[in-house]
Amino acid sequence: MPPLARRIAWSLLAFAALSWLPLAVSEYHTHVFIISLYYVILAASWNLLAGYAGQFSLAHHTFAGIGAYTSALLSLYAGVPILVGIGAGVVVAAIVGYGLGTLCLRMRAIYLALATWAFAESVRLLVAVEYPITRGDQGLKTALFFGTAQPTPYYYLFLGLTLVSLLVIWQIVHSRVGAYLQAIRDDEEAATVMGLDTFKWKRAAFVISAVFAAVAGGFQGHYIGLLSPTPMKFNEMAMIIIMVIAGGFRTFSGPALGAVFIELLSEELRAWGEIRMVLFAVLVIVVARAYPAGLLGLCVAAGKRLARLAPGLTPLLTARRPED
Amino acid sequence: MARLEVEHVAAGYVEGIDILGDITLRVEPGSITGVIGPNGAGKSTLLKTIFGFLHPHRGRITLDGREISALAPYEIKRLGISYVPQGANIFPQLTVEENLQLGAWVIKQDRARVAGRLESAYTAFPRLREKRRRRATTLSGGEAKMLSLAKELVTEPTLLLVDEPSAGLAPRIVEQVYAQLLSVREQGVTILLVDQNINKAVQVSNYLYMIERGEVRREGPRRDFVDQLHAIVRDALLGA
Repeated sequence: MPPLARRIAWSLLAFAALSWLPLAVSEYHTHVFIISLYYVILAASWNLLAGYAGQFSLAHHTFAGIGAYTSALLSLYAGVPILVGIGAGVVVAAIVGYGLGTLCLRMRAIYLALATWAFAESVRLLVAVEYPITRGDQGLKTALFFGTAQPTPYYYLFLGLTLVSLLVIWQIVHSRVGAYLQAIRDDEEAATVMGLDTFKWKRAAFVISAVFAAVAGGFQGHYIGLLSPTPMKFNEMAMIIIMVIAGGFRTFSGPALGAVFIELLSEELRAWGEIRMVLFAVLVIVVARAYPAGLLGLCVAAGKRLARLAPGLTPLLTARRPED
Repeated sequence: MARLEVEHVAAGYVEGIDILGDITLRVEPGSITGVIGPNGAGKSTLLKTIFGFLHPHRGRITLDGREISALAPYEIKRLGISYVPQGANIFPQLTVEENLQLGAWVIKQDRARVAGRLESAYTAFPRLREKRRRRATTLSGGEAKMLSLAKELVTEPTLLLVDEPSAGLAPRIVEQVYAQLLSVREQGVTILLVDQNINKAVQVSNYLYMIERGEVRREGPRRDFVDQLHAIVRDALLGA
């Protein structure tokens, strides 16, 4: 079987393997899993930009917001169907991403982070201030995608979206483009000498990651039924970073693992309120300082240990690696 | 017509501060042209300006008569100019073969042709064939230099800009590197070589320029330089 077909088959298998969940847990927990999946898309796509391409943007959550608000406003004022609205949100996010990328991607590291952060705050303030259109902090009601707030169908929707996103990101990371992005991250000058238009590829990564965020944001908006500028605050971006770092920065499955772990933990510790952010911040510092491989690294290490105890399971537990 | 012409070029890293004051030089097809001079003379700046990392403040640069002064590095690369910077220009986390492939793939997306180019690179650099599946970080300094040269050669350049190929290498490796440059020239590739190793540069170049503080102090065919090598080396060392 060609590799892509095999990966699609694995994704379908994963869908089947995870489809029992809403039947086994409460509606509340199904909802928590939906939000986890939403964060998986955000974390994995931010990791594509920050981890693989090395462009540390702090506006990823803003693109989710742009996708959500575009779709909600269009369906509210122009009466467009939800899917068309989400499509429009993706297009707007791509255009804005292209523009912001053009402005910011010649900056290095910290300046890029600052510029994208400033952009994120500006968009949030704009949404909050334009009360007559966006209804600001009062919140904007959105049409529900399935016409119901019952989470089960949304779970399947988000599971599908997440698996498709992960598959696409996998394809990008393991393609020629993925190699270019990592080359630019590791040594931009050497990549330039090689003949790469580094600016063009960085901007492409920026637009692609914005598109993923807008898709996730668009669908999430039509699930929650209410938009507000609150998720466009920096806290949300911090959550994405926390998820990626805790799961395993610059790894493929780390961010997905981190997103589910942090979101579940965050729900469990809901009673703690904002103290959770302090806890997560400490977690990030500890992981970054002591164990950069993150949760994924822990899982791989555990797999190897288990493989030593039960040699029969070795091929299942240890990832195959190319000859070193 | 010269392959490459640099005419009255002034350039530098900041507007208003010229590292190169007024440089004029010509690179003839199929030759090795050497640029020598002391530290800080502007040799590396010259190559960076030709390759488009910097743009001339004044003057112009032409390739086969076409002006390239305003082009970006990736555009210049597509015209067949390759640049081997000082130090190693490789990705340590990739294997030797991946480094070569990536280099070739950016320019020529034709599997069969890339495979052919890789094969001839391995023939020219047998050490790289032995280590093709090793990560580049395991290479010695000399091997890394070979790889960064090979990585440019797989893109089939017609003009090669080489910056200090012998910097930091053991004498035995240095010999190999210059032997490679000569054999690259035999294959018809034109080379512009910037070097602090005056003896080696004079040995391999057909024509030489000596630059100092951003200006050409002396130029001529190899024999002029061979005759006065002692005086030139002394001047370069003393910066007089």
